[in-house]
Amino acid sequence: MKIDGTVALITGGAKGLGLAIATHLTELGAKVVVADRDAEALAALPAPMGRYQLDVTRPEEVRTAVTEITKQFGNIGILVNNAGVIFSEPFVNIMNPAGMMHDYHRFRDSITVNMDSVFIMTAAVVEKMVMTRMKGVIVNISSISACGNEGQTAYSAAKAGVNAMTVTWSKELGRLGIRCNAIAPGFIGTESTHQALNASAIKHIKENTPLRRLGEAVDVAKAVASVIENDFINGIVLDVNGGLTI
Amino acid sequence: MNKRLIACLADVFGLRESEIHPDLKKENVDNWDSLKQMDLVLSLEREFDIALEIPDILRMTTVANIVDVLKEKGVDLED
Repeated sequence: MKIDGTVALITGGAKGLGLAIATHLTELGAKVVVADRDAEALAALPAPMGRYQLDVTRPEEVRTAVTEITKQFGNIGILVNNAGVIFSEPFVNIMNPAGMMHDYHRFRDSITVNMDSVFIMTAAVVEKMVMTRMKGVIVNISSISACGNEGQTAYSAAKAGVNAMTVTWSKELGRLGIRCNAIAPGFIGTESTHQALNASAIKHIKENTPLRRLGEAVDVAKAVASVIENDFINGIVLDVNGGLTI
Repeated sequence: MNKRLIACLADVFGLRESEIHPDLKKENVDNWDSLKQMDLVLSLEREFDIALEIPDILRMTTVANIVDVLKEKGVDLED
């Protein structure tokens, strides 16, 4: 799909990885609309980007938002489901006998934010695409954690779910001209990675990555653009991790 | 019935051409579900070079209705 001139909705696009994706797609000529909870970060976005304050876990709000965005900016041709929150909690915390096991409510919340939101957003956007017989591309931002990552039961499960939805939708929606792919970043040198990992852990990751470095946000943004532009890529989960999982 | 239409329907639903007739309807074809409906839409659009709208697609639940929709789209179904 041609990016230039196409309306691209990026969730969680006001900061970090999402902002890098929004910026790159804007540079390639997309009419980018960023949906994010963070009003302050939205206000700081550069002028060409459209902005919409939205909680992507609320189906009714999302449906309203997609209708309003479509009216204001035109039919959405690209959806990048980037919104999510990295969440870490050990399944068993032997040091906390009173609350030794992973809390179920925090598990559920993480699934809602990281997986349900992808379902909710995609359902709202694909409905519009189908009703207008419009072709489109869905790009889900997955994670290396989808393979299972210790200390991240909920986040890993959510991202594995995202991968499964990606493949399912690619099979089901392909006949409608709607492609669906996922990008699975490894360790990217964003603020959240540096907050989540100490220097020793980052050194260990670099040593085990064939390219001997963390990724950059633009590496992920370029991968997003490539699966949008290539009309025969459908149903893949593209690792962007410097070869860490080889 | 038009041979090209029969071929489309037989191909999409995996039926023999002799099984395709105007009285055939969604309820009588085991695999005529929403996914097959979209396969049918794409097949008809390609074969007859037309664009079908959602209301047309919703109506196309019998072969007779499909014939009506195609005629409304200006398709010549005379063999």
